Amino acid sequence: MSLKVLNPNAEVLNKSHALHMNINAAKGLQDVLKSNLGPKGTIKMLVGGAGDIKLTKDGNTLLKEMQIQSPTAIMIARTAVAQDETSGDGTTSTVIFIGELMKLSERYIDEGMHPRVLVDGFEIAKRATLQFLEKFKTPVVMGAEPDKEILKMVARTALRTKLYESLADQLTDVVVNAVLCIRKPEEPIDLFMVEIMHMRHKFDVDTRLVEGLVLDHGSRHPDMKRRAENCYILTCNVSLEYEKSEVNAGFFYSSAEQREAMVAAERRSVDERVQKIIDLKNKVCADNDSNFAVINQKGIDPPSLDLLARAGIIALRRAKRRNMERLVLACGGEAVNSVDDLTPECLGWAGLVNEHVLGEEKYTFVENVKNPHSCTILIKGPNDHTIAQIKDAVRDGLRAVKNTIEDEAVVLGAGAFEVAARQYLVNEVKKTVKGRAQLGVEAFADALLVVPKILAENSGLDTQDVIIELTGEHDKGNVVGLNLRTGEPIDPQMEGIFDNYSVKRQLINSGPVIASQLLLVDEVIRAGRNMRKPS
Amino acid sequence: MREIVTIQAGNYANFVGSHFWNFQDELLGLADSTESEQIFKSHGLNMDVLYRSGETQQGILTYTPRLVSMGLQGSLGSMSSRGTLYKEIKEAQVGSLTWTGPVTTQTSQPLQKNLFLQSLDWEENTNVDRSGAYDNEQNEAHAEVQDKDIVECLENEIQYWTDFSKVHYHPQSLYELCGLWTDIKDFNNYGIGREAFSGGLHPEQVNERLRFFLEECDHPQGIQFIVDDSGGFSGVAGEVLEIIADDYPNIPVLLYSIRSPDSYLDPSNRKLTIARRLHNAVSFAKQSALCKLIVPVGLPSLSTSKMSKYLYLEDRKPYHTSAVYASALHSISLPFRMEPHGPSAQYSSTSGAVTMNDLIQILAGQGRQNMVAVLDASMPAPALTSTGFQQPLLETLQPLTPETADDVEDMQALESIIIHGAFASGLKRASVSEVTEALQAAYTNAARRPKFSHLSVAQCPLPIPLPYPSIFGKLVGERGELFNTQVSDSSSSRGSLEVHSVPMAARLRSSIAILPFLEDRLQNLRKLGIARGALGTEILGSWGLGRDDVEDIGETLSDMVTKLNPISETSSDSD
Repeated sequence: MSLKVLNPNAEVLNKSHALHMNINAAKGLQDVLKSNLGPKGTIKMLVGGAGDIKLTKDGNTLLKEMQIQSPTAIMIARTAVAQDETSGDGTTSTVIFIGELMKLSERYIDEGMHPRVLVDGFEIAKRATLQFLEKFKTPVVMGAEPDKEILKMVARTALRTKLYESLADQLTDVVVNAVLCIRKPEEPIDLFMVEIMHMRHKFDVDTRLVEGLVLDHGSRHPDMKRRAENCYILTCNVSLEYEKSEVNAGFFYSSAEQREAMVAAERRSVDERVQKIIDLKNKVCADNDSNFAVINQKGIDPPSLDLLARAGIIALRRAKRRNMERLVLACGGEAVNSVDDLTPECLGWAGLVNEHVLGEEKYTFVENVKNPHSCTILIKGPNDHTIAQIKDAVRDGLRAVKNTIEDEAVVLGAGAFEVAARQYLVNEVKKTVKGRAQLGVEAFADALLVVPKILAENSGLDTQDVIIELTGEHDKGNVVGLNLRTGEPIDPQMEGIFDNYSVKRQLINSGPVIASQLLLVDEVIRAGRNMRKPS
Repeated sequence: MREIVTIQAGNYANFVGSHFWNFQDELLGLADSTESEQIFKSHGLNMDVLYRSGETQQGILTYTPRLVSMGLQGSLGSMSSRGTLYKEIKEAQVGSLTWTGPVTTQTSQPLQKNLFLQSLDWEENTNVDRSGAYDNEQNEAHAEVQDKDIVECLENEIQYWTDFSKVHYHPQSLYELCGLWTDIKDFNNYGIGREAFSGGLHPEQVNERLRFFLEECDHPQGIQFIVDDSGGFSGVAGEVLEIIADDYPNIPVLLYSIRSPDSYLDPSNRKLTIARRLHNAVSFAKQSALCKLIVPVGLPSLSTSKMSKYLYLEDRKPYHTSAVYASALHSISLPFRMEPHGPSAQYSSTSGAVTMNDLIQILAGQGRQNMVAVLDASMPAPALTSTGFQQPLLETLQPLTPETADDVEDMQALESIIIHGAFASGLKRASVSEVTEALQAAYTNAARRPKFSHLSVAQCPLPIPLPYPSIFGKLVGERGELFNTQVSDSSSSRGSLEVHSVPMAARLRSSIAILPFLEDRLQNLRKLGIARGALGTEILGSWGLGRDDVEDIGETLSDMVTKLNPISETSSDSD
């Protein structure tokens, strides 16, 4: 496997050896990931020693599945994963870009150039590219009502790199609506308020947006309703179980009667808490046919469940901590930590609470809510692979939409930006640079082309032809990208292919930093050796 | 019924866990079998405490441990992380339903299942159509030979903890920590484990799995947590304990902080030595702060302990040593599963049921409130005679907690002891009352008595499953009885084919015997971490611990020492 490249023996003796080890590791990692890039990339199937199968097209997931050990590769991988954490996408691109920078540098270094000079050129080129990006980006005005079309285009571009087209298009609406649902004016978007739930059931195309919340558990009492309409929702974090830990342990009682009495007293206080909930239910449901559901973060034991069931209340226990927040955003009301001051105002409302059972797994749908600020993307698929892939894609899609809203800008995709930036560097910036740092700028500029090149390569197109054609168009002043079906230049604007501005910016920022560190790394290693000597 | 959820973190913890669950599986099997001793059929233990009933999507009923096990990626050997019961519909040979583009496949070398695992598969597949019409004699002869081969293969070829596991696990149980990107050798300290776990989705995913098992518990009595303390998993466990403390504050945690003999080997250089000592201090302090009772387990050498009289143990084999620790853990867990019964029950096979919380209250909730317990075990436990025990039981108990003081006078010691499967004279199982009396007699004659002692008794001995290592010496009989002269001279050690069960005794005690363990950690932390110009400040910094954190840890440790030894020199000797 090509992963072996990443595990060379770590003992490094001389400078050029160290440098070449770094370059090889970067190239090795690039080789592993590059076939993944873009809507024509390959999906990778990893079969483990026990026959476990994992399928992924996500660079981030793939990196985490690899047992990388070369320090260089780890450094690159960490940068790429950090890219994903901060901007939500661009893992594969980061690895590829760093690999290309290293690869092109190697050529100059072999000709006797000092890495320092190249690194200086990278720095100049990086700054110029970032400035260029500011000019090149397409601003998007995000008022009270964001332009849904542009959000959809960005989401679609992201999703189509992970899922087949019609599924990607279906999910485009799902992720855009999900983000718009949780968006609050003047506040940063908290994607955690979109719950992502999966069910191993039916097909990938049954994946949908639920306005409301889907919980992965159900009531634990046979007599509770499985379906209830017009339902008040009490969201709480109150222990409804008998806990002995509050009193001292049993064997200190002097008699069985005393023990019984203590147990009974403790039980009474639990029952009183349950009764307060029942009282509230009776109050709000007295003169209508409404229902009542309790969703509790703490436990509810069988006697309490019995009482609740008898009062016609649906009760769910041990809800996820985060669902407390989501429920309130979805249904209204507030999450209460004590039953002492329950009022009808604490309650939320849902048009339908419905339980769904699959084998031993239970799901509770809390939906048809009035004014949701939290929602659930319910992923369905016949098996774990399908679910995992959709999940990866949905995460990317959500981030892409969030980024667009927060960036208030997008960048033309399909390689258009990379080609434009490269032409800008070569035609304009390079001239202004004195001396050999020019070569660093050139290397950087050419490294940018790796994205369109690999997109072409993965589509089975001739890389050289494509690059010549694209740069030609750009020199004529036409901003074009690559049509992956035909190899012809296209206008990404017309096709609706947009990337995130923040992803690109992060990529251009972090890539050269790591590449520079790796090129200059021989000094670091020597310092380490010196430090170890005295022992 | 009071449920227990078990968590295992790290490779050695999983080795211990694997043996532990094999015992449970063996008990379940023996209870169903027509041939087994009566004592296994009515053992008086409620297995539902540790196990859950479930159902696959195809409607097949399942019975699996309530367990979340965490290990490094690749530590599951030939076992699938999804377990074996919940099979999904096989995906059409190649590829993905969500991607129409090309697929590339990277296949790792498939791991060969060993003889034992093969035989399990074989049994499973033939179980259905083997309805007794088989030529039994021949089949048995065949099986006999095979079993011998299996035992031998296990002795020599164990690499992964799954290699000797006969238990079916739930798909939510086995969690692999991927994306570590470090050499396993370097995954050796609290800091790196914490860092590896806290990034990304690990905390959320582990919490989801834990919630899956806890949500279905009507009345959880506690969490039994086994952590491999010697490496990065101590940091992982620290994070998981924090999750538990946040989300399940009322569920008590009984923590076994366990280490293999390997972890005592001298590190190759000075820096590693310092790191190791700091790790021990930090890891212990962090873990103890987040559980209700902590039991450090794992001696540098079992083969040179008292146990070597009856057991032949090889310290370098985790398969061997983990079996002993698992046996002791099994014994300790029995009282949690005994059915409590009223005074009307005339005869019963158990007595002294306590919940996990009761046990914690016995040891840590009264008196000095010391929450560090010492684990002792006697294996096989001696038989009763008319005057007491065949050998003095209290003296056969071997501490399994490292760095304990021998023979200390402690007027305030608290303990909980469990004896199960003990014999009375004439190879009859001793009754509950006989054992109680014998132990009382033993204490009356003992030089030192604890302030409080709780006794639990069960008649059911420790069953020895087939994949148990051959560690019994020649003085141990088929049912774990002890002889004064060798029972056989054929082979050097006896395994599961020769020994089918053993009586056990195990004890948890809160005693000043633990002081050397605590003081060692406190001193190392002060010398290497807190003192001015300490050598370990940089290491602690790289684990994300600033000066204040380290001082807090020192405070925790010195509090623990002071509780047991109020007159100790607690002021720092840094200047």
